[in-house]
Amino acid sequence: MTLFAEILIAFFLVVSGIFGLVGSFGLIKLGETMQRLHAPTKATTVGVGGVLIASMLYFLLIEGNLSFHELLITLFLFLTAPITANFVAKTYVARHLKRHDLPETGRAHGWSIYDDPPGRSEDE
Amino acid sequence: MGDGGVFLFVIALLPFIGALVPGVMIRAGRNACATFTAVPTALALILLMLLAPAVLRGEVIEAELVWLPQLGLSASFFLDGLGLLFAAMILGVGLLITLYARFYLSGDDPMGQFYTYLLLFQGAMLGIVLSNNILLLLIFWELTSLSSFLLIGYWKHLPEGRRGARMALAVTGGGGLAMIGGMLILGNIAGSYNLTDILASGEAIRASEWYLPALILILIGAFTKSAQFPFHFWLPHAMAAPTPVSAYLHSATMVKAGVFLLARMWPALAGTDAWFYLVATTGLVTMVIGAVIALFKDDLKALLAFSTVSHLGLLTMLLGFGTPAAAVAAVFHVINHLTFKAALFMIAGIVDHETHTRDIKRLGGLARLMPVTAVIGTVAALSMAGIPLFNGFVSKEMMLEEAAHTAWFENPWIVPALATLGALFSVAYSFRFIVHVFGGPVRDDYPRQPHDPPAGMYLAPALLAVIVVLIGVMPFLAEPVVAAAVSAVTGTEMSPYLKLWHGLTPALWLSIIAVLGGAVLLWLHRPLARAWDAAPRPEAKAIFDAIMGAAVRLSRMISETLHDGVLSRYLAIMVAASVALGAIAWSGGGLAAPTRTPLPVPPVVAVGWVLLIVATASVVITHRHRFQSLVIISIIGLMISVGFVYLSAPDLALTQISVETVTIILLLLALHFLPKQTPVESSPARRLRDGLLALAAGGGVGAVAYAFLLRDVDAISDYHLANSYEGGGGTNVVNVILVDFRGFDTYGEIIVLGIAGFVIYALTEALLNGTASRRLRQIEYEPDRSRDRHPLMMVIATRVMMPIAVVVGVYIFLRGHNQPGGGFVAGLVISIALLMQYMASGFAWAQARRKFEYHSLIGSGVVIAGLTGAGAWLAGKPFLTSAFGYVHFPPIEEFELATAMLFDLGVFLAVLGAVMLMLHSLSRLARHAGETVNLEPMDFDPRTRAEAEADGKGG
Repeated sequence: MTLFAEILIAFFLVVSGIFGLVGSFGLIKLGETMQRLHAPTKATTVGVGGVLIASMLYFLLIEGNLSFHELLITLFLFLTAPITANFVAKTYVARHLKRHDLPETGRAHGWSIYDDPPGRSEDE
Repeated sequence: MGDGGVFLFVIALLPFIGALVPGVMIRAGRNACATFTAVPTALALILLMLLAPAVLRGEVIEAELVWLPQLGLSASFFLDGLGLLFAAMILGVGLLITLYARFYLSGDDPMGQFYTYLLLFQGAMLGIVLSNNILLLLIFWELTSLSSFLLIGYWKHLPEGRRGARMALAVTGGGGLAMIGGMLILGNIAGSYNLTDILASGEAIRASEWYLPALILILIGAFTKSAQFPFHFWLPHAMAAPTPVSAYLHSATMVKAGVFLLARMWPALAGTDAWFYLVATTGLVTMVIGAVIALFKDDLKALLAFSTVSHLGLLTMLLGFGTPAAAVAAVFHVINHLTFKAALFMIAGIVDHETHTRDIKRLGGLARLMPVTAVIGTVAALSMAGIPLFNGFVSKEMMLEEAAHTAWFENPWIVPALATLGALFSVAYSFRFIVHVFGGPVRDDYPRQPHDPPAGMYLAPALLAVIVVLIGVMPFLAEPVVAAAVSAVTGTEMSPYLKLWHGLTPALWLSIIAVLGGAVLLWLHRPLARAWDAAPRPEAKAIFDAIMGAAVRLSRMISETLHDGVLSRYLAIMVAASVALGAIAWSGGGLAAPTRTPLPVPPVVAVGWVLLIVATASVVITHRHRFQSLVIISIIGLMISVGFVYLSAPDLALTQISVETVTIILLLLALHFLPKQTPVESSPARRLRDGLLALAAGGGVGAVAYAFLLRDVDAISDYHLANSYEGGGGTNVVNVILVDFRGFDTYGEIIVLGIAGFVIYALTEALLNGTASRRLRQIEYEPDRSRDRHPLMMVIATRVMMPIAVVVGVYIFLRGHNQPGGGFVAGLVISIALLMQYMASGFAWAQARRKFEYHSLIGSGVVIAGLTGAGAWLAGKPFLTSAFGYVHFPPIEEFELATAMLFDLGVFLAVLGAVMLMLHSLSRLARHAGETVNLEPMDFDPRTRAEAEADGKGG
């Protein structure tokens, strides 16, 4: 049982380590901002998530009590990472791209960055 | 203390409490205002009269309230004969002045203000004469200078009033400063600041080598206050004040404060040669000069002012003689001078009021037009001249008697001759007051046709005139008061015998010479005045202005050299000095060998250290790019909090992280309005100098820290660790230190924080009204800015985070006393929670949903903390002593309740208010600069889009 637990925990730790490394490497290696965005958001999320899972398993299986701190951390991570990525992307689009660089949305409304929100456009 | 003692406190406090009344009562009308001003004075006078019999029997009533025993300062009062005399004068004349001023002040004058100042002054004067502690006396002494400044400058629209007030404040306030020095020396010699102790140790004081400096300093204080030569010049200039003020301050009370002090200090200081030559000579000179100048003044009030100077000189001279008989004469003359001079000032005020001029040359013949005024004025002036049957005669006789057998440097003639000369001129100007104002034919060119004023106006001087005559005819009436006062002055039991007729003494002959000579002088007045005007003489005001000008230039030179507004220079000077001091200390040696060995550096720490160093260096390199350096600064903050965590200081780490977050957000906001880059402004040499200084300072501090870390040092923390739980009821030592051990510091800090918030608010307010406002309006935003400035994801996420963050804040607040946390961190956490809403949905939207004022948040925080601290007084403990107990409600576990938690609540509110107010101020700038204002929580609201799509399909 203990051995199995240890193997499980180690597996998650190793996974998280690999993802963390890949994520950091990608941050340096990838050329474009939009590409670089993938590295920390996706890879590091899984990387840190792995550590968290490992930690929960450790407390559950080895120490014998349930730890909820990791869930909180996960919650914050899931909240902050997408929002950060969203902001970085928006900033990039606003700074470096023009309206015609992007394809049409194909829907009733255009890109939120360039087009006024519905309801307001009529006023202006 | 007995009942009498309590009365003393009440008497001393009544005027100050009463000072609040007139400002309110003026709304009920002028009569109500004057009446209610009289109430505290009358009450105090009644209480004083209740104490009077005991004092006249020779008892001394004392009362003491310990105030600052460490400084030897206590609120202790005592009432002896001298104090009784002066207190009765202050309160009695105060009542008369209140009556007189009611009719004197015109409808345009703010009467409430006048009476408030008057009562403040009265309180300060009473404090002086009742104080039994010289430090307390000094406080009241300065208070009289300040309140008289307000009174003299009461007519703010008159430049001479303002100038006179400033001059009086400069001279008397400056003298007060000298006196502080003298009093401290005196207290040091006597070993106590208690007046009774000092008076009892007169022998030791006179024998001390510090006697002379103390004497001179105290005399400067007394002489400036009592307008003695060469400080006499401020008094005539103070005549720009309304006449009630002149009558009160410049005849009865304030100028007598100096005389009072001489009398009070008589047992301790008098009796030496130095005392005699300094005090008596000054008094004599002042008496003669004042009398001579008074004769040639055409302004009624100036004449009276110089006559006051002269009479004060007389009093000073008598006290300077140092004999008990002279003291009797002085005390008696204090009473007499008060009665006739206050009456004369009021008469001068009436004349001015009725004829609209105080110029003697334009007056005359008023006896027919204003008979009542003329009678009162003549009685008072005859007393001033020293004519028999008026009280001035009796005391002047006694003065001449004393002067007649006083030798000055072995010369028996000079004092009597000069005293007689002074008396002679005194007679001359008194006669002039009568003859040139009331006598002569009625003229037809008065600026306004005069007639007697309403009774309310002449009632007060009339009462004084009655006293003048009563004492003049029956001097023995004043005997008990004089006896009690003189006994207090000399410190020995005395029963003086006051009588009208002393027989054919030398004094009588001198007196006759003075009266006859005075009459001759008046007869010769016209040619004499012409000669006087032609003669060159030093103008005191010009000299004073020159001295003040020089002093202002000197201080401006000093302050402008040392304090020229170049902040970097101040910093450079301070840093260079610190480095030099450190270098001196280092070269002095004396550093013991290290007692600890350095620990090995773990790799994680090394990584953190390298990050910190790299980040710091990067800030220096990129500091001209403001946003970049801000990002790097946040790395430094983060590494420092990590360091705190590593070194087991979770409290500091929490605080650091939250402070860091708030600071970065606010800085980002502020940077928004500033240039994105800092231009290069200083020369390379200068930057090199500053860099070297910075390196030296940083290296020095680092070396000191390193040296301390290697040695065992006794620190204060051991005490806190040992006493935190027992004394403060908390296991979180940091929090217990903040709210309990060093609660007063924290209290000060939250006040400072609150003030900082207000200052930022005020600065933005000023900015928006100033020239910067135009620049702000001209800020051009890039046209291609995102239309989606309040993205849906962010808005939803912050809404979800809000309750969680608040719960975290509350949790941190509640556990603060025992575990990491506390009001400060909680305040920051909650403000971050709010800041998130502002960031996500924009300021206007969030502001519209704000339920409380940030200003009042700060205020209530400080008030709650202050009240909690003051609550400790109720338990008889010092300010901010924490109380705690353990409470147990059945469903939840036992928990602790400490008053420190309430204090922490105050800290919490103040921090929250300050941070939010800063945000508010900065965002006001943004909106002023034309930032769009959003009314919706987010720009792309899915609901509206759904509606729009529905509309689109429908249409």
